[in-house]
Amino acid sequence: MADAKSAGANSGPKTYTTDFIKADTDRAVFLGNALLDDMMTALIALGSETWAVRRRAKITEMLFEKNGKISREMVEQYMPTPEEERQLTTERDDFIRNIYGHFARNGEDVVALNSLDPKSKK
Amino acid sequence: MTMFNRRTLFASTVAAVGAATEALTARSAQAALPKDVEPRGSTGRLERLPRLDLESVHDFITGFRKFANGDMSRSANARMTAIIKAEGLDPDADLPIQKILELTGKDPVIANSARTWLSAQQINWRTLHNEFHANSDLYMAEMEAADKAGPGTLELNPDLKPPAYTTHEIHIQPGGYVGDPFAGHIYLYGTNNFYTGRNNQDELHIEYASAVPVPKTGKVTRVLEQGTSCGQLAVALKQRFPNAEVWGIDVGGPMVRFAHMRAADIGVEVHFAQRLAEDSKFPDNHFDIVTNNIMFHEVSQDGARAILKESMRVLRPGGVYFPMDFYTGGPPPKAAYGKFRSWWDSRWNGEPWRLDYAALDFAGAMRDAGFDVNENGPPARPGTKRNILGTKPA
Repeated sequence: MADAKSAGANSGPKTYTTDFIKADTDRAVFLGNALLDDMMTALIALGSETWAVRRRAKITEMLFEKNGKISREMVEQYMPTPEEERQLTTERDDFIRNIYGHFARNGEDVVALNSLDPKSKK
Repeated sequence: MTMFNRRTLFASTVAAVGAATEALTARSAQAALPKDVEPRGSTGRLERLPRLDLESVHDFITGFRKFANGDMSRSANARMTAIIKAEGLDPDADLPIQKILELTGKDPVIANSARTWLSAQQINWRTLHNEFHANSDLYMAEMEAADKAGPGTLELNPDLKPPAYTTHEIHIQPGGYVGDPFAGHIYLYGTNNFYTGRNNQDELHIEYASAVPVPKTGKVTRVLEQGTSCGQLAVALKQRFPNAEVWGIDVGGPMVRFAHMRAADIGVEVHFAQRLAEDSKFPDNHFDIVTNNIMFHEVSQDGARAILKESMRVLRPGGVYFPMDFYTGGPPPKAAYGKFRSWWDSRWNGEPWRLDYAALDFAGAMRDAGFDVNENGPPARPGTKRNILGTKPA
């Protein structure tokens, strides 16, 4: 099988896996330079980790407000109320838009550096 | 919302799918798997991800998908349309994909839209893969203990030779459905954020199960779901037809293994087996209903025809065949961006058979297999107005 990779047989517990055909997306370069692609992936990963820290902080605050005391276990196990969940989701979506919204400007309005006409703005 | 260990809280109930709230909380007191790994408990039928930070990363990915499919996609669409118009061409004129790529493939706005979507998908899978593999002893022991537990049964076949078309890394999930021992775990959480949280309690699968038509005689004693993956539809089918024997089959051993563990954990009796949809080993005329959900667009055209033939064989006369997937046979998207997205999904999101499926005259293939076909059957998937429906002639 072309490009197949075995993830199955070993001496440990039975995995019931078999060979598969590996995707080539790890080698995808869309931005003209592999480093740029990697930086974009890193930027999104960084955003996800930053959000995790912020969400943990928010949950810690929620717990502190409710209980006046907190422990690591309480934070880890806390289940936000539906209202708190809504607040967190709104904040998350704002967080994403504030950071990545720069990449979502209206594509139709892209203006090149060499096309500046100060009067018509075209 | 309070946290709980779901197996200790709920009394035995098998809820009708129509009663959604009841269905979501259905549990069996008999369901007591020997080893339960849920360090952060469950909400309803969803075991929470084992760490708060991982849950938060996936919360982010869920939000990022919405953003990427919304604002960023609109931006890329506008950019593509502008570029094609600037070339004096009509973006709705069914341009060849090669021409679309030639004109727009290097545009930074479009390329970045594709890049960010792909990066988020890679982070999605990588973080789940890393989590379950980092704790593989624990999760493997949980599955081993569940293999022989009930309710329901599990049949694994390590000698099964999967057809090559099934062995791709669909959705670029590491190892695909057959190559990673935690394929089921990874698939469930990865697709949950694909559904942007709207399926955390199997809500969509419960809708699909409720849409499945019943044979005219009303008799439903055996139901089969092909390509069951995590078994969410099979569980919902059992809850809709509590007196029927419900089977879920899949080529992926790790998928049915997880499906069985999850169904047993929820307390619903489903029989899962690692078998091929095109060679299911069931007797002739065995099932009253055979169904599947978003399976066929992941199947080659030859595979689809073989599956339809096998479905015809195992369905009893008068039985119902209800494959739920995208429409086929209609005109493919003509607008440049729609065409690009379909192509891109196939090429870069591990959907190698999607375009082949779209090109297939699926109704014709069903007729070739011997079904009476109603192309305007009841709708199943959200946003659709009809679903193809096959009946085995009596």
